[in-house]
Amino acid sequence: MKQQYAWRSLVIAALLAFIGASVILQLLRIQYSPEAQNFREQSALYGRKLETFHPERGAIYDRNGRLLAGSKTVYEVGVDLATARDKEAIAEAVGVVLGRDAGEFYDEMLNPPENLRYLVLADFVEADAAEQLMQLLHSAKEMAEPGQPSRLQGLALDAHPQREYPEKALASNVIGFVSYEGRGYFGVEEKYNSLLAGNAVQVWVPTDPNRASEIPQVSSGTTLVLTIHRQLQSTVEKILDDALSDYGAEHGTIVVMDPRDGAILALASSPRMDLNEFGSYGVIYGNASEFDRAVSMPYEPGSVLKVLTMAAALDSGTVVPSTPFLDTGAIQAGGAIIRNWDNEAWGQQDMVGCLQHSLNVCLAWVAERMGAEAFYRYMNRFGFGHPTGVDLAGEAAGRLKLPGDSDWYPVDLATNAFGQGISVTAMQMLMAVSSVANDGRMVVPHVLRAMVREGRQYSVPVQYAGSPISADTSNTLTQMLAVSLENESSIALVPGYRVAGKTGTAQIPGAYGYEIGVTNASFIGWGPVDDPRFMIYVWLERPSTSIWGSETAAPTFSQVAKETILVLNIAPDSVRNEMARP
Amino acid sequence: MNLQQTGRSLEYLLHAYARTPWRAQRQWLGAALLLVIGLGMTAALYLDVTSQAAIAGRQIQDLRSSIIATELVNADLKSHLAESTSTVSMEARARLLGYEPVEQASLQYLSVPGFFEPEPVVLATAGSLRPSAASMPPEYTESLFDWIGRRLESAMDAGTGVP
Repeated sequence: MKQQYAWRSLVIAALLAFIGASVILQLLRIQYSPEAQNFREQSALYGRKLETFHPERGAIYDRNGRLLAGSKTVYEVGVDLATARDKEAIAEAVGVVLGRDAGEFYDEMLNPPENLRYLVLADFVEADAAEQLMQLLHSAKEMAEPGQPSRLQGLALDAHPQREYPEKALASNVIGFVSYEGRGYFGVEEKYNSLLAGNAVQVWVPTDPNRASEIPQVSSGTTLVLTIHRQLQSTVEKILDDALSDYGAEHGTIVVMDPRDGAILALASSPRMDLNEFGSYGVIYGNASEFDRAVSMPYEPGSVLKVLTMAAALDSGTVVPSTPFLDTGAIQAGGAIIRNWDNEAWGQQDMVGCLQHSLNVCLAWVAERMGAEAFYRYMNRFGFGHPTGVDLAGEAAGRLKLPGDSDWYPVDLATNAFGQGISVTAMQMLMAVSSVANDGRMVVPHVLRAMVREGRQYSVPVQYAGSPISADTSNTLTQMLAVSLENESSIALVPGYRVAGKTGTAQIPGAYGYEIGVTNASFIGWGPVDDPRFMIYVWLERPSTSIWGSETAAPTFSQVAKETILVLNIAPDSVRNEMARP
Repeated sequence: MNLQQTGRSLEYLLHAYARTPWRAQRQWLGAALLLVIGLGMTAALYLDVTSQAAIAGRQIQDLRSSIIATELVNADLKSHLAESTSTVSMEARARLLGYEPVEQASLQYLSVPGFFEPEPVVLATAGSLRPSAASMPPEYTESLFDWIGRRLESAMDAGTGVP
């Protein structure tokens, strides 16, 4: 009996051992079979998926942390062709919700590109439309018979961010916009595109939850904090719009800069566009240089350039403020006759009078006396003919003709002295004149105040572009310009604050010489003179109520200066002087 | 003497096994069972750890998805807030409330000792960030004895009402 059990036990043990050995052998056979490679490939294929991570684009803030550019959620609507059960129903649902022809969607689904499993029907669908589609999906699921797929099976919605500009057109010339493809155009969006967008990463992501730690961490784009002051920007834009309307100007530009560090506090240029509606770009702008006229559109500035001619003359020792000049109303220079803006002779003057009355003849005489070599050396030092390096896309370099250039003539020395025959941008003028307001040091204008990355904020240091003139020259010239404004009782003056500045009225060159009866009106000024906190450049193109900068750009400067004083909380000279007393 | 005793014991054992062979079989059976139980326990432990790791991995995947979703919602809310407090909205609301823009001429400046102009905004958040190692739960670093000690300590604290 016992022997019988022993045999049975042995048979069962042998059977189990055989089964175990068979399993192990089969495992080894599969492991080393010719199909093993195929199995490994299939395992690799289903064990991971290729994904492209688009890091969220960095936000843009003003200097006080107000959001200028952020993100909103939009949806990609697509269909999984392999699992779609009722394509007609899907097309109908998407067509009705998006307000488009359902037939188009149906045709797309019936004739998809070869080997395509997932077909994108629409992208950048707004959240409310996506919500409607989600409700339809939910309803279809509820209506489906138990165990059966819904009619909308295969329809999928995928959320992703899209650029949003909560302030719409505010500071649009500075910010620029982002296309559907995620590329920045113009302004900060283009200049800092690679920083803002972060780096898109395409990686194989394991689907095995045991390898979840291998999913890459993709950092968001860098957040930018601009030097722009939102409130001042808004005010300056309103003043510009009013000035265009009041003076009948075709276009205009106003820039407010801190002359101490080159921070652009406000930059308004016309026209502007709602950045959320970037599709209208082609309707609003004729060409790219119109987007931000302050940096992309050089022009002949006219008499505002006399500030720099006088700066060069004072610094080189050619003249002093009291140098006498007898104005006869005309001067011969380079074989041409140069006349004053009013064709009149202003008699005995000193250099303050020359600036006060903006005498072309006097400044041409000063430039001739200084000599071409010294004059153009200073103009080069002021940065004309080169981009300023401002961190905005599309900056133009302007044109400074130099002796030796094929199109330079001796008369150019005289005309350049009062801002004709030279093309500059508003930004170049601001940078050059910042040396006069800033003890001879020239600052590089900039709009980026700081960057925020990985939770840390990095401030952008102030950049200086050299010292083209001495501190003595800058102080002397500032006083001369302040006195000339006061002597003239200019409407550029700001009650309670001493400001310095200069008007400019420039003829506009056309195909056949200068156009008749149209001008570019400009004003550059800064204040308070004893401690400059703002520098303002105003440029009105072709004003029709008056062609003169003193009657159009100067009052606009005064308005902007008053608002800047309010926003920046600058106390009047008397209060500041009293506080400074020990 | 000892050798003799040992020889006797061995003889006794051999005799006993010769009389009762089931003793040897039982030993073999016991060893085999021990092996099977050991393998079973190892397999169970392995399965348990693997399943826990898989569950944790799945949770990580889910959390990552919810982080992305939360970031989208966060960005949406920021944009909505910015839109609600945009210059146009704020000006309209201020006018509705009866405010009007101040004129530069109507301002009076007072000297306030100790007043400093507010500094421009700083958006850095790095101050609140800490290395993840510092917040790692003790279960990942302590030994078995540490764990037992900690559990006992917490049980005693609970018993004595120590907070």
